[in-house]
Amino acid sequence: MDSQIIEVLNVTRETSWLPWAVSYFFLIGLSYGSFMLTLPYFVFGRAQHEKLGRLALLGALVCGLTAPVALLADLHGPGRFMNFYLHFQPQSWMSWGSFFIPVYLAGLLLYAWLALRGDFAVRGQGGTSWLARLYRLAGRGGAAPRMAVAAAALLALAGAVLVALYTGMEVMVVHARPLWNTPFLPAQFAATAFAGAIGLSLLFNRFIGGRDSDLETGLNRLLVLALALVLVLGGGWLFASMSGVSPSHSAAFSQVAGMPQWQLTAVWAVLATVLPMALATWRPASSGLITGLIAVHSAWMMRWTIFIGGQSIPKTGAGLYDYHLPLGNDGLLGIVGTLGLWIALLVLMLEYLPWAGQAFAAGDKKATNALAANAIASH
Amino acid sequence: MIQSRRNFLRALPAITAGAALAPAPAIAAAAGEEDGRHRWAMVVDVQKCIGCQACTVSCIMENAVPENSFRTIVSTYEVHEGPRTNTYMLPRLCNHCANPPCIPVCPVGATFQRKDGVVVVDGDRCVGCAYCVQACPYDARFINHATGKADKCTFCAHRVDAGLLPACVETCVGGARIFGDLNDPDSKVRHLVDRNKMKVLKPEMGTQPHVFYLGLDERFQGHVEGAGTLWQPSGHGG
Ligand code: SF4
Ligand code: SF4
Repeated sequence: MDSQIIEVLNVTRETSWLPWAVSYFFLIGLSYGSFMLTLPYFVFGRAQHEKLGRLALLGALVCGLTAPVALLADLHGPGRFMNFYLHFQPQSWMSWGSFFIPVYLAGLLLYAWLALRGDFAVRGQGGTSWLARLYRLAGRGGAAPRMAVAAAALLALAGAVLVALYTGMEVMVVHARPLWNTPFLPAQFAATAFAGAIGLSLLFNRFIGGRDSDLETGLNRLLVLALALVLVLGGGWLFASMSGVSPSHSAAFSQVAGMPQWQLTAVWAVLATVLPMALATWRPASSGLITGLIAVHSAWMMRWTIFIGGQSIPKTGAGLYDYHLPLGNDGLLGIVGTLGLWIALLVLMLEYLPWAGQAFAAGDKKATNALAANAIASH
Repeated sequence: MIQSRRNFLRALPAITAGAALAPAPAIAAAAGEEDGRHRWAMVVDVQKCIGCQACTVSCIMENAVPENSFRTIVSTYEVHEGPRTNTYMLPRLCNHCANPPCIPVCPVGATFQRKDGVVVVDGDRCVGCAYCVQACPYDARFINHATGKADKCTFCAHRVDAGLLPACVETCVGGARIFGDLNDPDSKVRHLVDRNKMKVLKPEMGTQPHVFYLGLDERFQGHVEGAGTLWQPSGHGG
């Protein structure tokens, strides 16, 4: 007999991994993705990739340092975070994560310092101010031997791989949410992180790198590859879901396929992948601003959909839980605050970190910045 | 052993007003009660539930559950079948699973199972990461906004350890919630489980729930396919 069920009364479970979690996964992804982009120049010494290496290092640092703040804020008891280190739980991916993050960040900071040590030394030349002394201290020994940089890069790389692994696995192992419980997820996180990092470098190139059209072209080409991978993975998930080869994928698909808001999200996701691919292919030398913005936005949207969208699907009840972005700390204010911190860190680094290299040799700030832009632009 | 409200009423004189407000979800093991002698379980006789939510309210009172949060609730559905419309009631709570997916994910070992099967949270250790909330297939857990810690039904372990029934069982008007010790061959839950075809929620998850349902309609055993509830809490208390 035809039957129709209407839920009259049930509990609504609030989203408990908050937008903070989206911010964390987004930023840490951009960070490890950007870190990868620094390797050709700083580790393999490819001079033609200097600008990319320097811009991406800036991205890796600024995202990497902001990410843990968002992660800590996602704990409902941030003050108790020491418990992670007092009570290690080998069967919990999150517990491993609390050790992987410091490995990655320590590796990244060490690597950045060694990579820029020569630049620190140059910037500290001559002056007697405490700042100059600080630069001299940081630059003691001058440019670091390639081997030292490579060793630090290896540590950061190990950390990056472990972070990519745990962030994916942590979500993938949640059987209770079919949408999360897919081996595609870790790969999808990594692929979108990489695409987002390329997008970030495109934006940095536009706004602080003097708009190098060769770099823009190269990054756009790379972006097309990364987005193609994102598409392939998405297609793989869709195949697993629709062909019936995997019951858990089918369950995930059937939970969302009929919902208009999820259909819209799917169309949006495809457009946000295909559109920048087309643009980047069609106008590789000039579309960087748009393709970069869309790529960064896609990396965010993917995580938002997985986390916030995923948690709006009741595990037992009918329909969807409503999610309204709260305006306060656990919502909009948190996102804006994270962005604010990100911008503040970026400004500080642009100001005080000799990220752009030798150009900073001249002491004067304005001239330095112009020199930096020039040096990079003419590279 | 008191096993349902009726038996409980008979034993009433022996019980003082023991409804101590347990402020935190943390339940320490009571001496003598956690030696593995018992395996607490609940049988929910769905036919007997009248959807009065007395259990929901008594749980909130007993456990100081913040506003708009619930450790247990009676999910209520309207079922239209041809020209007939029925109401279907389904009391939900933590299943105190024998294979609970909420435990291994905890990054600090704050959530654990007592020897008597009760799954609890050590509030001193819990960092409020909500990983267990994600991992529970039954939406049985939530973050308590007053404490910033994971919260859930404890089978009223503080009462059970003192020889009392869980608050929801005690107040159940229809006698739909039957609580007892599966290890006790004479207990009512043991009898019911042995002599009836019990159902559990989402058996395919392999969680081995220890809340058993008598007369559960299959359509409500997992994720319910239907129109979602219109009522949503407007915010959380705290
Ligand atoms: S019902 Fe959920 S919270 Fe309760 S023991 Fe099972 S998995 Fe854990
Ligand atoms: S919220 Fe608390 S009990 Fe749950 S997984 Fe996190 S630390 Fe463990």
